[in-house]
Amino acid sequence: MFWYKSWLDTRWRFLIAFAVLVCSAILTVLAYPKFLALLPSAMRVNLGGEIGRRVTETIQFERDYRGYIWVQSFRQNLTQLGTLFAELLGTGGLLPSGSKDTALFTMSLPASRNELLGTRAATGLIELGVLAFAPALVFPLLSPAVGQTFSAASAITHGACLFITWAVFFSLALLLSTIVAGVWIPALVAICVAFFLTAVDLVAGGTGRYSIFAVMSGEHYFRTGTLPWVGLVVSAAASAAMLYAAARNFARQDF
Amino acid sequence: MVDPFVIHTVELRKTYDGVEALRGLNLQVPAGSIFGFLGRNGAGKTTAMKVLLGMARPTSGDARVFGLRPASPDEGVDIRRRAAFVSEDKSLYDAMNVDAMIRFTASFFPRWRADLEQRYLRMFELPRHAPVKTLSRGMRTKLALLLALCRGAELLVLDEPSSGLDPASTEQVLQALVAHVADEGMTVFFSSHQIADVDQIADHVAIIDRGRVVVSGALDDLRRDYRRLRLVFDSDAPDAPFGAPGIAHVRRAGRVLTLLTTAGTEQVVDEARALAPASMDILPVTLKEIFLETVAVEE
Amino acid sequence: MLLLRPNPASGVPIYLQLMEQVKHAVDTGALRPGEQLPGIRPLAEELVINPNTVAKAYRELEHEEVIELRQGAGAFVSAHPRAKKLTDRVRAGQAIVAAAVERLQSRGITDAEIRRLFEAELAGLSKVGGHRG
Repeated sequence: MFWYKSWLDTRWRFLIAFAVLVCSAILTVLAYPKFLALLPSAMRVNLGGEIGRRVTETIQFERDYRGYIWVQSFRQNLTQLGTLFAELLGTGGLLPSGSKDTALFTMSLPASRNELLGTRAATGLIELGVLAFAPALVFPLLSPAVGQTFSAASAITHGACLFITWAVFFSLALLLSTIVAGVWIPALVAICVAFFLTAVDLVAGGTGRYSIFAVMSGEHYFRTGTLPWVGLVVSAAASAAMLYAAARNFARQDF
Repeated sequence: MVDPFVIHTVELRKTYDGVEALRGLNLQVPAGSIFGFLGRNGAGKTTAMKVLLGMARPTSGDARVFGLRPASPDEGVDIRRRAAFVSEDKSLYDAMNVDAMIRFTASFFPRWRADLEQRYLRMFELPRHAPVKTLSRGMRTKLALLLALCRGAELLVLDEPSSGLDPASTEQVLQALVAHVADEGMTVFFSSHQIADVDQIADHVAIIDRGRVVVSGALDDLRRDYRRLRLVFDSDAPDAPFGAPGIAHVRRAGRVLTLLTTAGTEQVVDEARALAPASMDILPVTLKEIFLETVAVEE
Repeated sequence: MLLLRPNPASGVPIYLQLMEQVKHAVDTGALRPGEQLPGIRPLAEELVINPNTVAKAYRELEHEEVIELRQGAGAFVSAHPRAKKLTDRVRAGQAIVAAAVERLQSRGITDAEIRRLFEAELAGLSKVGGHRG
């Protein structure tokens, strides 16, 4: 059925993303001893202004292991890489493209448009879920190797934040794929949107409360122990809305 | 009321990006027929097929397959459950091999015929484990045909089935179609540039030109009824209009006036005689000539 | 195989060509009275023609009493003498045409012109005198 076909279409992107994200998590953990050695000299850095404030704050966070993981992985690597991979996972394959069009074969099968899009979206989201939780679970599993512990509950919570916010970018790429043909253009546009949001973040002064990237890194949870409910709900709603729009577009598409 | 026509369109129109691909298409395909659909490139054959199978939505007009509307999401799925489509380039999934392609397709059709699958695998000599992307065009066509024939479909819609095929493969394909129709009693609706193929196996024919059907009917009737009337005059052929019904086409070239007439030659002959030509010939017409005459560019 | 591939481009409907072939075979004794003809499906597959066309040819042949269609058993050459009379008639007609063609040829009229004359005659043209040689 279409599950298998969707898997075939996205498996390389998924596997590469999986490898990169999990390796990134593993390397972050394993680099901790090295980082500890560098910490004293880092703490002597004293820059002025907003940047200086942020750098100092970051170093303060990283003084304990949990903070270190949060800053390096959740706030930085996983957020940046994950957003990119989420968009790449959502892009392409929904509009007719060129003469060697396998879409005609797919469209001649007895499945409704909603079924087709639904399977594609669901496969992507399941893959996204794996991409979110696998690296997160590296931390509780691997931290003992560097003599530290990381709570599994924390990992799962962060994983959920990653998944729900990555889904927004995934849905964006999918929606763009129902408007523009090809694999690269929707991805490119989605990446530009991500960059734009990042830029807004920086300009607005730190990761403001309304930033999706703050929700993605689970900042509120990190600082206060409570989930960023508003951010998560808004993200989920945005994803749902974009997927719905994608389904509507796809249903009307001529092949 | 059951529609005796498996495919029935009334004034079907389809506009793509401002281009009118279909301009009031009227098509009736009887159940159990092998129906040849002739037309020049870009005349609208592929568009018509896509609309009939729900792959594109009509701009206006009515289209029915098995009495169902392809534009409706539910009825469209029903149609595609009972019909099979083979596109012109027979593109299949490069990432799969022959066996996977068959299994994938079979998963959609509970009435999949394993016996036919075995027969056609043998007949077409398809290597089960060959990746689709390594197949030649001829092999891909045969695989696409297998996927269409094994699903227990009542209607087969083929866009240029023998395009790019060598004569031996074409023969195999036509033979498989004919045998399948004899056994399973389904309807075949195919477009082709190979008029010889249409001549050989079709029993009904329609010619489409610029988004409209210009000729249609049982092939035997066309062969019996169409005649070419050639009038040669002493001076330039007159421009007189012909009022008699049944004139499919008129062409003037210098002193020669050629008329393509359908049944009712008597009336036309009377009118023609009234023009006092120097000579008048009446000749049978082949399907190819009917095609060329009716879709020739009007100067 | 007994029956040849019909020529689709000849302008003569395929079912008529098939009928002619069967009648000719009966004439020459290649098909004997009571002998079975090939089934519709195998014949269609062998000649690569539409099965409906074969069915139509068989129906018409049955109508002309050249063959019999027996439910569930197939098509068989008729043993009925009336079939023979029909082919006798056609053979007589053939002799008349042969004589006429020979006479026309002896007047220097070409084969193509002879063909046109027959067509025109059949279409009722020469009755109104529209052709000048």
